[in-house]
Formats: sequence, structure tokens, C-alpha cells
Amino acid sequence: MGAGIAGHTAASYLRTWLDKTHEVVVVSPQSDYNWVPSNIWLGLGLMTEKQVTFPLAPVYSRAGIRFEQTRAVEIHPEGSVDIPDPHIVVEKRVSGQPAERSPINYDYLVNATGPRLNFDATEGLGPGKHTVSVCTPDHANEAAKDFLALVELMKVGQRCRFVVGTGHGMCTCEGAAFEYVVNLEFELRQHGVRDKAEVIFLTNEYELGDFGMDGAFIRRNGYITPTNIFTESVLAERDIWSITRAHVRKIEHGRLFYETLAGEEHELTFDMAMLLPPFAGVGLQAFDHAGEEITSKLFAPNGFMKVDADYTQKPYEQWKAADWPRTYQCPAYPNIFAAGIAFAPPHAISRPHTSSKGTPIFAAAPRTGMPSATIGRVVARSIADKLTGKENPLHTASMAELGAACVASSGSSLFKGTAASMTVFPIVPDYERYPKYGRDLKFTTGEIGLAGHWIKVILHYMFLYKAKLLPGWRLIPE
Amino acid sequence: MGEINTNVYATQPTRFTLFMRTFLPWQLWRFFCINLTMMLLIGREKHLHK
Repeated sequence: MGAGIAGHTAASYLRTWLDKTHEVVVVSPQSDYNWVPSNIWLGLGLMTEKQVTFPLAPVYSRAGIRFEQTRAVEIHPEGSVDIPDPHIVVEKRVSGQPAERSPINYDYLVNATGPRLNFDATEGLGPGKHTVSVCTPDHANEAAKDFLALVELMKVGQRCRFVVGTGHGMCTCEGAAFEYVVNLEFELRQHGVRDKAEVIFLTNEYELGDFGMDGAFIRRNGYITPTNIFTESVLAERDIWSITRAHVRKIEHGRLFYETLAGEEHELTFDMAMLLPPFAGVGLQAFDHAGEEITSKLFAPNGFMKVDADYTQKPYEQWKAADWPRTYQCPAYPNIFAAGIAFAPPHAISRPHTSSKGTPIFAAAPRTGMPSATIGRVVARSIADKLTGKENPLHTASMAELGAACVASSGSSLFKGTAASMTVFPIVPDYERYPKYGRDLKFTTGEIGLAGHWIKVILHYMFLYKAKLLPGWRLIPE
Repeated sequence: MGEINTNVYATQPTRFTLFMRTFLPWQLWRFFCINLTMMLLIGREKHLHK
């Protein structure tokens, strides 16, 4: 289920490793694959939708993968009274007609459904209401239109305020919001209207540079420096003001209301606000053989699927790297796996904070492209090994044992652009293995420069090539 | 607005640092180094058996 980075990767490798006696089916409500990291550029009018998406059906047809463009709504892991085999129920909606439901049987199920963009968590948040987003190509197109319209107004002298960041106290993807704000500022300069704009970065992070991974330490120029220093510096050199520790409570036309960790309430006006929503699971329900609902057996309250993580509630000081899942296998049903954003993390990575009014305000754990794809591949390997009769144990890809490389554009131009290239190892800090900083400083690095921009552009074309399953795609690492 | 950070005390890059960010010879070298770091990172991924 799902044709995003994790699901598409899992399906592609399953089809590669299994012979034709095995059927690989992808269920997704989307007709197109979207290279989400490049939505930032789409959201500023620097790319078109065609440059960040491609139709899935022809790729799957060529690869021998059955593609069902429909939405999964239920899981029946024990079968049902009518259908003895484990199956999912999918729903197709055609406008003006009642939804059609049908079953798809499975022997192994990979839940890679990604996030539900929970705009409803904040009143007034989201496209069609009072803010824009870059989470999907449609949203990013609307953001680009709004941005370019304001550029035209600024060219004739109007002053505008742009607010970019997180639209709720429990958001993730602060890195994407950061990337959008620095690109937006760069584009304002390119359009010659920077002097007419006020740019504000509004985030739920406790400190800038947290990015949902509790920040990081980087060895640079003779110092071991926390990422909040670098992030603050990047914003400072671009005259981007910042508000941290903020939970956006409500948004009206042209103004938003937020609460801070100190429990204070504030108001902020804007001409354009790009605020990311918090994530939740897509809302799958599960039923046992008798038809009794067992959703809470498979899913956490936030809708993400429980896997082999330690979900015991414990304070931050007792969090361990070992809490994080390794095989992504559903403990209740060993033939079900969850990959990418769809699995339930045991807890956040960043230290949790609560305001004096009891409002949680801290960054949720990110699952970026590289670990999502790696998890998808590893889950595929585990399933393929089981189906081909190998005695191998399940394969593992704990985020406490994986590294990640992220390249955040900070201005798109072949010779004047820059990007922040960052690597962390491991993604989830392991203070038992790396006592002082939680990470291996040899592989936790960061720098800004033109080289990063070239890398970002190359990765855009390279990963789209890989996702299209063109010749040699397996040579490109996740 | 409240608690807004206007970056008065933030670390700022020097003109030399800003220059080096887009200085082609240096960035070509950094392109090689960053890619090497990323490849070494990918090579570190462990697929351990239970």
C-alpha cells in the first residue's frame, strides 16, 4: 500500500528479487509518483509539476507490477467470514457515484501509506483555507502562484510579509520548511524585491537546527558546534527573523495566533504563510475474522502502524536507541510490515516540551527520503527471503543504525546558488555508543556551498531516473 | 509578535566565507569531498541478521 518513496522502493525490489510466480501489487490513490524533495522548487515557480512527477502506470506495467489506483481503507489480517484469506479492502470513488469497495488478497502486506496531512489539527491551516503548503504538487503549485503574485505587488512598491514554518506544535519536516524559507528569500533577491519583504521563520523547534532529530553537533573550523549556531547564522545572514518554540493555534485570513512554551499568546499578520501540517496515519481500520474492530492492535493512536519498537511510555532521559524498530514487522501479524512514514515511532527524537498551559510543543521525528527508501528495500529483502525459502532472519534497518544525508537547497542557481549538505550518523542519537554527542562526528557533517546545490540538482534527476526503473536503476543507492 | 529573534547576536559569516561558498575551484573540491562522505555513509549501512 503506497507508492511514495518507501512503497515504490519496496515494490521495485520485490519485483526484482521474486520470479513471476509471485505477484507484486501496488495500491495507491495517486496516479503519479512525486519526488517530494523538489516540491520546494515547485512551490516557488522554479520547476513545473511535470519535472517533479511522472505517471506510475506505465512504469509498473513495464516492470510487471500490478497497479491498482485506489485507496486502501481496511485490513483484514485474519481474513473474514466471506473471504478466508488475509486481505485489504480498497475503495474507489468516482464523482457522483457511491464508493465501490473490493478486496485484494495478500500473503505479505507492506504498509507504506505515508502521512495523512493533518491540516485539521489547526483551525484555518491549509490550502483552501488561509495558508499554503508544499507537501503535494497541487499544493506547491498554489504556493508558487501566491508567491509570484506577491512578487508582482512588491515590484510596484507594496511591502509584504512572508511567514514560513510549522503550522502546529507537533509538526515534523522542519528541514523542509527551513529549505523553503531560505529559497524564498533567495528568490525575492533574484526578483529584486527583497527590500520590500519581511521574512519570518516560525517553528515548533526548541532551538533552530533541531530538525526533529534533537539537533546535531558538527566538527568545523576547530570547534564542535551545535547545529543551532549554523542554522541561526544562515537565517541571520539573510535577515530572516525567527520565532521558535511556537504552537500555531488558529489562523484567520492574514493573521495567525500562536502560543509559546512560556504560555504566552501572540498574533502575527502575514501576506503569505507556508506552514506545514502535522502528520498522522492515513486512517486505516483493521478487523478480525469475526468482523470485530482490532485497529488499536495494529495501529498507534496517531494512526501509524505498530512495529517491532519499544512503545513503553517513558521519560526522555530513559529513551534509548534500542527503542527504535529494526525489522519493521508488525508484532501482531508477522506477514505485515510498515515502511517509511507509515510506521509508528516509539517516541520523538527531540526532547519533548510542554508549555505552561500544558500544550506539547516540540518537533516530531522525521523520516526523510534516504531512511524511508532504505527501510522499503530492507522490508522487501526480508519478504523476498521468506518467499524464496531462505533461512535468513529478517533484515534490519534501525534509524539508530542508519545514517542519512540531506541536502537542503538555499538558493537555486547554477553558479550563484547554494545548499546545505548534511550527513548524520546515526539518525537517532545513540548515547550508549557515542556517549558525548550521540553521533559519530566523522560522519556527522554540514556545510553550505555551491557544491551542495549541484548535488541537489543531480540527486533530483538521479532519483527520478531510479524511480522510473530505467536501466541500471539498482546501481543508484537509496 | 512576541519572542521574535532578530538575529542581533547570531554568528555571521565573514566576507571570505561567503566568497568561498560560490568560489568555483573550492566548490569543485567540496563537491568531491561531500560525495565521498555520502558514499562512505551509504557503505556503513549494516544489514544485520537477528
